Amino acid sequence: MSRQALRLDAKKVNSEFLTLTYGALVTQMLRDFENVEDVNKQLERIGYNMGMRLIEDFLARTSAPRCLEMRETADRIQQAFRMYLNIQPTISNWSAASDEFSLLFDTNPLTEFVELPADLSNLRYSAILSGCIRGALEMVQLEVQCWFVQDQLKGDNVTELRVKFVRRLEEAIPAGED
Amino acid sequence: MAFCIAIIGKDNAPLYLVTSDVEKELDLQYRVHAALDVVEEKCQLLGKGAPETKELYLGLLYSTETHKIYGFVTNSKIKFIIVIDSSNVALRENEVRAMFRNLHILWNDAVCNPFYIPGEQLNSKKFDRAVQKLMSGNV
Amino acid sequence: MSEEIVFDCLHAEIVNYCLGNNKEHDLATLEYIGFTTGYRLIERLTRDSSRFKDELETMKFICTDFWTLIYKKQVDNLRTNNHGMYVVQDKAFRFLTRISPGAKQLEHAPKFVAFTCGLVRGALSNLGINSTVTADVQSIPACRFHIEVNRN
Repeated sequence: MSRQALRLDAKKVNSEFLTLTYGALVTQMLRDFENVEDVNKQLERIGYNMGMRLIEDFLARTSAPRCLEMRETADRIQQAFRMYLNIQPTISNWSAASDEFSLLFDTNPLTEFVELPADLSNLRYSAILSGCIRGALEMVQLEVQCWFVQDQLKGDNVTELRVKFVRRLEEAIPAGED
Repeated sequence: MAFCIAIIGKDNAPLYLVTSDVEKELDLQYRVHAALDVVEEKCQLLGKGAPETKELYLGLLYSTETHKIYGFVTNSKIKFIIVIDSSNVALRENEVRAMFRNLHILWNDAVCNPFYIPGEQLNSKKFDRAVQKLMSGNV
Repeated sequence: MSEEIVFDCLHAEIVNYCLGNNKEHDLATLEYIGFTTGYRLIERLTRDSSRFKDELETMKFICTDFWTLIYKKQVDNLRTNNHGMYVVQDKAFRFLTRISPGAKQLEHAPKFVAFTCGLVRGALSNLGINSTVTADVQSIPACRFHIEVNRN
């Protein structure tokens, strides 16, 4: 160790490394695309790809059995946020049919230090999160819609992500069977 | 009571300046500028094996009849200058040190905003509000 | 740790983004993303540090503490010629350990080290040291980073 040996919290360092890397990616994309909506789509896409990989890791670590209904799914998502981002969103605002709910975050590690410039009010800075949820659930045969209802970066008190069940995806029927 | 906080970048480019007395702004800017030479001297001394100070705080850079000027240089070569009216006798050195420490923390957060371009002037409402608080705690 | 896989996934996506279908991008963009990250990261990591005395102390910090904090392991070897040239060797570099070793994969190795080259360059740059950082991968997952300090 050098003379400047630090007693830094490993979790915090990891979190900040992620935050800063993500920020660098977002700003690079803003340079690459003229249209902010294209950046939103790219970030969602990246989240989607990541979700597909992370779900495998999640299932391996938790050996969770298949969810039978959305309330279980919501709990798993909450668990995943704890495991991977070290945050605990609250589940709330269930629809009457229990097929739609919100995740409320009062902190979001991805947006730590971020101040959105006034001319980027259309940027969905954390779009990677909605993409991630969508991608992960699709791998377990659940098609959902996922979108931001509130965003602390835009002045709201809390960041609210809404998840809505669309349909169960049939597993692909192996060739040869009718 | 004049009170000024200035942040100067690596190539002595001004990154941020706020004063509590807008009329005195030019005068304070001049003081900050003069302070940079002293900062330069002190830093060179540190490099040449002067009694090693591990601190980033440089202490009182110089004082005039009307003002006291303090300095602080980060490891990332950013200089913070605080100009205080000499008539403000209530402000003690350890409070000045604490102010620099808080300023450093605020600056650190501001630099980590991915939309801030290093080397450019800092344009952050969050930072402005926080610095105002810092200043109003001490004027 | 679960957090590691999140970063590994993000890194892989960033590599894909820079070098995927978009022909206009290349390793330089990937390196630059690393650069701006490293620049800010070092600001965070050294926020509570005391003053760095000189270039050697700074380099030692980058090649030891910084590496350990980011890559979770010690650097395996650090050499310098005392004239501004430093070589950091990592026998099991984090972003190469998931690639299967083999001659064919060596072609792709530069993609997985570009971000780190930028990261180191950015960190040094913010501490007042201008440098050129390159990497060479002789056999996956071992990697050597060459840091050449530009002294003017």
